[in-house]
Order: sequence, then C-alpha cells, then structure tokens
Amino acid sequence: MNELVRILDGNNFVLSDGNGDIDAGPRGACGFFEMDTRFLSQWRLTVNGERLNALAVDDPHHFEMRFFLVPGKPTHYVDATVSVIRERCIAGTGFEERLTVLNHADREVDFTVRLAADSDFSPVYSIIAKPMERPGQIYRRVEEGRLRLGYRREKFRRETVIATSEPARIDEYGLTYDIRIGPHQRWMTTLRVDGLVLRPDGEDVREHISPHRTRTAGQLRVELDRWLARAPQLTCDWEALAITYRRSLVDLAGLRFAPLALPDDPMPAAGLPWAATVTGRDSLLCSLQALHVAPELAHATLRVLGIGQGANLDDFRDEEPGKILRQFRYGELSAFEERPESPYYGSADTTPLFVILLDEYERWTGDAALVTELEEQTRAALAWIDEYGDIMGDGYLWYRSRNGASGLVNQGWKDSPDAISYRDGTLPGLPRATCELQGYAYDAKVRGARLAREFWNDPAYADRLEREAAALRQRFNRDFWIDDGEYFALALEADGRQVDALSSNIGHLLWSGIVDESRADRIVAHLLGPRLFSGWGVRTLAKGEGRYNPLGYHVGTVWPFDNSLIAWGLRRYGYAREAGILAEAMLDAAHYFDGRLPESFAGYDRDVTRFPVSYPTANSPHAVTTAAPFLLLRVLLGLQPLGDNLVIMPSLPARFGRIELLDIPGRWGRRDAIGNAHGQRASASR
Amino acid sequence: MSDAIARFFDDLGRSGRGRLEKRTSGTIRFDLVGDHGVHHWLVTITDGEIRVSRENRDADTVVRTDDAFFRRLARGEATPMSAWLRNDITTEGEFRYIVLLRRLFPPPVGARHPRSLTPGPAEPA
Repeated sequence: MNELVRILDGNNFVLSDGNGDIDAGPRGACGFFEMDTRFLSQWRLTVNGERLNALAVDDPHHFEMRFFLVPGKPTHYVDATVSVIRERCIAGTGFEERLTVLNHADREVDFTVRLAADSDFSPVYSIIAKPMERPGQIYRRVEEGRLRLGYRREKFRRETVIATSEPARIDEYGLTYDIRIGPHQRWMTTLRVDGLVLRPDGEDVREHISPHRTRTAGQLRVELDRWLARAPQLTCDWEALAITYRRSLVDLAGLRFAPLALPDDPMPAAGLPWAATVTGRDSLLCSLQALHVAPELAHATLRVLGIGQGANLDDFRDEEPGKILRQFRYGELSAFEERPESPYYGSADTTPLFVILLDEYERWTGDAALVTELEEQTRAALAWIDEYGDIMGDGYLWYRSRNGASGLVNQGWKDSPDAISYRDGTLPGLPRATCELQGYAYDAKVRGARLAREFWNDPAYADRLEREAAALRQRFNRDFWIDDGEYFALALEADGRQVDALSSNIGHLLWSGIVDESRADRIVAHLLGPRLFSGWGVRTLAKGEGRYNPLGYHVGTVWPFDNSLIAWGLRRYGYAREAGILAEAMLDAAHYFDGRLPESFAGYDRDVTRFPVSYPTANSPHAVTTAAPFLLLRVLLGLQPLGDNLVIMPSLPARFGRIELLDIPGRWGRRDAIGNAHGQRASASR
Repeated sequence: MSDAIARFFDDLGRSGRGRLEKRTSGTIRFDLVGDHGVHHWLVTITDGEIRVSRENRDADTVVRTDDAFFRRLARGEATPMSAWLRNDITTEGEFRYIVLLRRLFPPPVGARHPRSLTPGPAEPA
C-alpha cells in the first residue's frame, strides 16, 4: 500500500494519495471519513483530462494540508505551463478544499478542470477488518451548485454534499469547470464537502443534539496554540527527548475527540485514523500516562465512560452492570447489530482501570468534586469485579465472551486470538484469568478504599475493600507463582492450571503493587533478562516460548506503552536504574522515528538489527504510544503526588544529562521539576 | 396507542429507581406516533426517582418513534442505542439521555450471567 497522507480532527478525517486524490477502489483505505463512515471513496482531480503529480506537500497542522501540483509525468515538470495548488482543511462536518489554477503562459489559455467524486458509504470496520455485503441503496442527485451522494438502508441515511463557490457543470459523478485564464493569471474555486448523518426528515442528527458543536479551522488553530501553551515546558540535554516530547504533545492534540455525550470535554481517541472513537482501555491508559501533562483528559474520559457504564446483562455486547465499555462505533454495522460496538463491553481491564484512573486523577488534581460525582459509578465498577468479573467465584478476575459470533476471545490489552498461551504454544480454555487483570483488580480495591474513606465517608466499605485486596494479593502470590521458572504465570485456566508462558504482563504486576517484595528481584531479572529484553524494550512474549515470533502482534513485539507501565512498576519497587534503562531504550528508538514511536516494533535483538524495526500498524498516532514518553518522563523525574505536594526524586541515566520540566499542573498549582544525571539532585521551585 | 404502552409507563412510574443511578435527574418526553395522532408521555427523573405523566411540555430530550417500534423497545426486543443509530427512534436534546434509555427499557431477553456458562475449550482462532 502506498503511503497515504491525511488531515484529521477527531473522527473526521481525509486520507489521500500524495497528490491529494482519493481513489479507494474496492479494497483501498483512502477516503473522507466521519462518524465511522466513508463519505468519499473517490475524489480525483484532473486538468485537461490529465492526472496531477505533487511537487511538494506541506502539512502545517494535523487538520490542514497543501499540495503543489503539476499535470503529467515527472519528465514534463520542467516546462509546465500550468500548476495547481490544492489546499485542504478539516472544518465542521467535513472539509474545505481550495483549488488555485495558475497559468504560467504569456497568453490566455482554456482549461478543463474536473473533480470526479463518488462514495461507497462503507463502514470503517469493513475497510479495516473485512469487507461486508450491505443491502442499502446508493443514490446521486445533481442540485443547483451542488452534488449530493447518498446511501439509504431502511431509515438509516448518510449523505455527502459537495458544493462549489464557482460555477461548474455538475453531473452525477463529479464537477467540471470550463475556465479561461489570462496570461500569468490565476483562477480559484472553493469546494466544501460535508458528511451528513441524516434522520428520515433529512436533518442531521447532530444538529438535534444539544449542545451542538462544530469547529472551524480558525478555532482549531487557536485550540492547538492554547493546548501547547498550557502543557508543561520541557528543556533537556538529549535532543531525542525534546523532539519526542514536542511530537507527542502535538499528536495528542490531534487525538482529542469530543464525544456526543460531552461535546465540550475532549477525551483521547485510541488511535488515528481507524480508532477515532470513544474507547475504554486506550483512553483510560492514555489519560493516566498524561496526568501530569494534561489532567483534563482524565476528567473527560472518566465522565464519558461513567455515562456509558454497563447497566444490563446483554450477551451480544458482553455487557454487565457496572462494566466500563470497550468501544463505541456510530456506523451502519452498530446500527443494524451486525457488529456489537453500540457500545461493546468486551474488556475485562477497563473497569478496574476506571477506578485506578479516578484515584490517581484526584491525587494529582485535588478534584474531589469528580470523585463525589462518580461515587455511584465507581462503586458499581468495584462491585462488577466481584459479581461479574469473578466468573469462577474464586476471587480472581476472569473473562469469557458470551457473543460467540463477534465477541473477543481475549479481553485484556493483548486481545489477539493467540496472545495467551502455554509455553508449548497450546491455547488455554475459557474462561481465562490473565495475571495483569489480578494486579489491576488489586490496585482498584486499594485505591477504591482510599476514595471510600476520604471522600465517601464509608470506612466500613474501605475496610472491606482493603481486606479483599490483601486476600487477593496473598492468593495471587500463591496461585500464579511458577516455582520452576520463578515468575508469575501469564494466566490461570478454569481448573486452576497455570498458563505458564513468560510474558511482559508480569511487568504490569509491579505497577499494580501486587507482587510480594521478596519476589520483585526475580521479576526484574526476567524483565531485563535476555529472553524478555530485546535491547529496545521488553517483549510481549519471551524468546523461546512456543508462540514467540519477533513479528507477532502480541507474541514477541515490543510495545512502548507496555514498557512505560513496566518502567513505572520498576520505579515503584525501587528499581530506578532498570526503569532508566527502559526509558533510555524507548527514547533511543523514538529518535529513529522523528519522535513518533510506532505502536510496536519487532522483537529482534538490538545487536542483530542495530535499529528498531517498526511493526506495520494501522494507527499512528496511537494514543497510549503517544503518551508513553510522558509517563517515562514522570518515571525518570520520580514525580509522585503526596498530599498537597509534588515529590520529585529524579534518577536519570547519564545519557539524559539534565531535564527540566517546568509548570507541571496539579493541586499544588504549577511546579517545576529538574533532574540531573550528574549529581542526581532533586530540586523544585515555587 | 395501545394497552402495552400504557402498561409499560405505568410500570415505569411504579418501579421507583429501577436501574437508574441516584444522581440522575432530567426529563425525557416520548412522542409516540400512532393511528390516532401523537401521544405524549413525560418521564421526570429526580435523583433517580421516576415519575410519569401525560404532559406535553419541554424536556431535556424528546424521543420520537411510532407505537409499533415502541412496543418492541418495551418488550426488550430492540436496543435503544442501535435503534437511535438506525433512526428507528429520533431524538432532540442531550445525548446522555439517549444513552440512559437502556436503563428505562427491559434488557435483552435471555441474556446470561457470565457465571452461567460452563468452562470450555477455546474456540479455534
């Protein structure tokens, strides 16, 4: 597949070829997308019947792009007498495109400029996963100054409206301009393309949701500037860190997405372009990683996920009361229940992570109001762990889909079908209790107890949660510990058998604090040992395991977000040097990608490839990867809220030199943190 | 209008809090289109307590559908969110009340508790 270029704002995005054209064909991924629907599958510009080639492409922001084009083959460039500037910008419910045709000849010239347009109104899922037959009808209407493309299935309707500022001959498959341009003169037209989500009465559903929000390009520019100005400022000796920090801030700005339920409270989408929607796990983890940079993301994520919390038993959606959702999709497949994302609840980790994020958020911000507002949801989440998560009734958190057709087999972050296996590669039966889920459940109970005691005035409930957490910790260290390997099993099967593969999941256990202190040394030795540590980071699955594959999505690759949580865990247990090794490896890798880490890279040993081999993935930026450098920075500087203070205990590898993170927001106002690899002195000011 | 619809709202008014959260407040008006015009039902939620009346007045969210489809919702045969995405119901107002509808209507018929499944082998990937 050719590299596609794109502009986007939340779930509204345009993916095109390098000349700005969209020519999707039946299997292509490009298009103009909104609300999980492709609104344009063709958008092809010609001048006098000739396709155009890009001399240059400029993308000043994530929502704006300019193409400088000439007709014909590259050999013709030298004597081009006409060129075209194509400026595209996301705005409102679609995008605007300004075409400027420049006549470089010293005489008047006639041109025929055509934009061919079409749409298949394909749902995003059928583009990224599998093509599906759809029974709806496509229609096309030529109107005064506009072309209207539509899709209708029962009462479900989507329309693409293409309007032009200059007169054009419009037919059902595009717009044609017959123009005459004087010597060294130019001609311009502006096209506006809107993707409409229509009700039977022909009105857009979004106009009937209050408050109704759309943003112009000007507002997007102002917001980006404000976002960058509000974030803590980083100065540091190592360029890789500076570039990565800046890149992550800009990317995170583009990932922010305003859900319909809270249009004024943007939360991070899981990834762009294909997961630009309300998600549980990725939004929770990204908000957690970025708490000291943009705490408002956690506020939005918690409120939105609280609104969407499970209320019913629903097998198709794997929903249970109190459960936090996995993903919501607005498209046709959700509407007609051909896919379960309306929303889908098939994640076993989102519910404890919700409690963990709320507690951590309050520790940073002192926002007791949100803890009060979300008391009932948080209690319901904690109750879910015991009532519905504990499928076997033995005090562990298990998962098993009740939707055999389209539910997920694995419901932790490693959700590919082969992610959870024995050493010999055998897949365990269902249900499964993966180890990191037990860590999250433990942490959720400990943190829930603090919230109950300090904010809900319910010490009895707090005591109960603490007793349960202590019992879980004890039980876990007994049942999951593999004596002959000296690490924690990846999972348990229903009969109590240990799924004995060595995996990165054990690193999350340190973050959660469920590991007995006496065992931490062994866990750290595994994490930094040759089977798990590649030199670029901790592999998802250890070398030597039956299903290990350096290019296996969840069975051998190295994931930056996974490593950021592991580094946090190492720091928690006092292994600052080891945390520093992971942080340094990650930022070293980031440098190869101009500061934008890929979702994962291959698990090859570092001394084999010398550089990190990116795994080809659909989403970039990817929220939890984008925010991983923030968490690594927190780990390096040893930032920890304590009461109303920010504790700063830097521990930096020599490579980092000096790091200054200024204006860290929190309940203390703003605080600066300065770390120096040489001398390792903590300092704080203001 | 049908007895099934009146019965649904009667039960809703008597159910107290049902599956609503204690902090929930707001008004949802249902405009149900039948053979003899549009009938209005106003659901007023105050701190999770439900009250039903036949008033036709402003509400935080207005839900419009026909009698036949409403009866399907009332029997738990249709899910409000998917119905909204399909335009089988249309709405005016705040989205969070659309999300909340599933707490007013019966859950899907025949749904199982996760513990009711017996452990088994993994389905082939």
